Amino acid sequence: MKRPYWFIVLVLFWSCPAGAKIDLVSLPDRDSVQLTIYNSADLTLVRESRELTLQKGVNRMQFSWANTLIDPTSLEMLPRSGAGKIDVFDLSYPPRTENLGVWQIESSLGGKVPMQISYLTSGLSWRPFYIGTLSPNEQTLDLQGYVRVSNASGEDYENAQVRLIVGEVNLLDEIATLARRRHPYGSPVARPEADQIAYGQRAKAAFETVEAEMVRTTAMAAPKKIEKKGVSEYFLYTIEGTETIAHRWSKRLPSFRAGAVPVVNRYKYEEERFGDAVVRFLRIENDRKSGLGQTPVPAGELQVFRSLGEDRRLAFVGRSRFKYIPVGKEADLNLGPVENVRVEAVLMHQATGNYTFFKDGNISGWDEELGYRIQVKNRRPVAAAVEIVRNVGSPNWEIKLSGEYGEYTRVDADSVKFLLNTAPRSEAEFTYTLTIHHGKRAE
Amino acid sequence: MKFRFIFTVCAGILVVLLASSAAARVKMVSLPERGDVVIRLDNPAATLIEEERILALQKGLNRVDFSWKGVRIDPDSIRLTLLSHPDRVRLLNVSYPPDEAALVWEISSDGAWEEKIRVSYLLAGIDRLFAYKALADESETGVMLRGRMVLRNFSGEDFETARVISGVGAEMTVRSLHEETKRVLILGKNRIPIIKVWTFDAAVQPWDPDRVSGNVGIPVSYRFSNTAEAGLGTGELPAGKVRVFQQEAEQGSIFLGEDRIDGVPPGEKAEIRIGDSRDLLVTQHKTAEKRFNVKRNDKNRVVLYDQEEEIRAEIENFKKTPARLTLVEHIAGHWEMKAASFDYELRDAQTLVFEIDLDPGEKKTLNLHYVRRNIRP
Repeated sequence: MKRPYWFIVLVLFWSCPAGAKIDLVSLPDRDSVQLTIYNSADLTLVRESRELTLQKGVNRMQFSWANTLIDPTSLEMLPRSGAGKIDVFDLSYPPRTENLGVWQIESSLGGKVPMQISYLTSGLSWRPFYIGTLSPNEQTLDLQGYVRVSNASGEDYENAQVRLIVGEVNLLDEIATLARRRHPYGSPVARPEADQIAYGQRAKAAFETVEAEMVRTTAMAAPKKIEKKGVSEYFLYTIEGTETIAHRWSKRLPSFRAGAVPVVNRYKYEEERFGDAVVRFLRIENDRKSGLGQTPVPAGELQVFRSLGEDRRLAFVGRSRFKYIPVGKEADLNLGPVENVRVEAVLMHQATGNYTFFKDGNISGWDEELGYRIQVKNRRPVAAAVEIVRNVGSPNWEIKLSGEYGEYTRVDADSVKFLLNTAPRSEAEFTYTLTIHHGKRAE
Repeated sequence: MKFRFIFTVCAGILVVLLASSAAARVKMVSLPERGDVVIRLDNPAATLIEEERILALQKGLNRVDFSWKGVRIDPDSIRLTLLSHPDRVRLLNVSYPPDEAALVWEISSDGAWEEKIRVSYLLAGIDRLFAYKALADESETGVMLRGRMVLRNFSGEDFETARVISGVGAEMTVRSLHEETKRVLILGKNRIPIIKVWTFDAAVQPWDPDRVSGNVGIPVSYRFSNTAEAGLGTGELPAGKVRVFQQEAEQGSIFLGEDRIDGVPPGEKAEIRIGDSRDLLVTQHKTAEKRFNVKRNDKNRVVLYDQEEEIRAEIENFKKTPARLTLVEHIAGHWEMKAASFDYELRDAQTLVFEIDLDPGEKKTLNLHYVRRNIRP
């Protein structure tokens, strides 16, 4: 399924009066290619090695990239040997041509020289995703991480070393936009419509087709190791060996597996965030005692199943799209609202008092008393930790608690939290009374 | 699509003929060769071209045609400088023929000789950009910096060879054709010291990342100085896009991010934002807020009060390396600090800057207790 329309054609015209072609050398195949694919932006750094034959003197090399999504401003060529003897001194984009660049290279060496060509392209992407299986008692999670690498760049990459970057890079321009410019650096002459080459349609069509094809073409590759290491603020995943990713194909590769990650089932209730519903969260910690903690866990979607224990059958619990989890950090994975844990907050008592007055008889301050009853019902066959956040709406208050309110925390100036550990199929109830000071009573 | 200047030089007798038939102007005689051409790009607002030619002048009145069809010359900017015999050759007048991108110089010469002239004009559609590539070392303490000038020529004119003065680095000789873009190396420094900085600004970043649905990052930048100690300092670094890469042992490099710098004069500092860190986390809450000294008017409306506030910011470093976080807090109006658990510097009356060092895995808490005075609702 090699596509005919991507190529790099490299031609040498050397040590000659301008424009006089003395010789023509076809480009040797890539010796190696390395793809570093980012997931925070449509961006891939491609680095390829080719052995070129240089003549002593000035060599002109032509490079073209029609129908690809290469950012021509990112093109770089570096000799991999002969330091100080080979000088890549300019790159020009000749007039009235498109998708073509000519390097001028001055060499005091003749013969074969390994060169490295690098550029940024769009159209390659990767995303992590996760599948988790809860143990029957829901105390541990078998967590499997995968990455899916997709290629809609217009180019077939054969035997490429694939590296994936986790992190948020600062980008000023989209690479795809730079790739579609008629002139690589734009033009000082305002011709906004004429300055874009209409690749958009093709690229879009390619993406659409890819989405449709992924379902059919995605297949488990042979398991490979993924080496992970931190680089600056990012994490770099290097996939063992090389991969061939043809245009419009994608690959799914296993990233990690942690067999028994301890989980805390936490059920959260906060009227202002979730309405009347109780939302189930799975708390995991990205640390070594969880079998994780080697690297951050990149943001992605987790599908959670529960093992029923019999005949390896499963039940689907929910899915969660979660944020990046740094090493050592705990994370609450939102699995959505549940019906079998309920919290009911009811205002049972309301009163005002302690009025103060101005000299003219108007009210200058008062206290408001609000008494709430909170009922917690755990209808599940397993224990559940229920976290209830109540927002007061004022910083001037006092609270009185009674009943099974669990662990109480003042979160900030105007909110409090209760954490109750409920037994399987149990109920709990507590009350609290807020005294809120208004006007002069708050001073 | 070639555009050329056409010089026609006519002897005095011919002028009479031409004057009688204005519509059919004869353009002949010699086409003077182009000599030294300078493209001066040091002013980003306009590009000045200076080109020299040799005219074969006759004794008496000479007419010189200069036309620029398809070339984006500002006609009002065209200047003629007579170089060989400035005292004996005079420019008498300049006229513009109808419906043509052209002008005619009338030049009076005391003798028949070759006259070197310089034509200067502002040319639109040709300019330069600057682009940088910075390659950071593995420890992120220094970068190799490459600066490139990108010459964009969409002026309608081809320059087979021209000296380019960009205002940065030495002048260079290039060939620049209409619709050609050329990228030339103008600056190469092998090691410029940098400081990596993380910045949390309470007015910009969310206070409680757990309550934000997307990923929350703390901006990370490289700070450097345009000074002699840093290996620079010889001139202004012009504004441009900087792409930052980081060297990896035996693996080449990875792309860290890009930013645009404004022009950096010698002696000044600049910051290049590379991306966001998700491994430093700041969670901030206001833990107390209480009004006092409340003053009311006759209608019992509050007109003035003081307010006591407490802020708690928890700062966590999940990285395996130490980090220094610049934490920026803002307190509006007239205020008085009661207690701060870290030292700070005032950037201005309402902006407090804390520099907080964090070891790998360390968590620190910043507590602020302050009073805002004389608040008018």
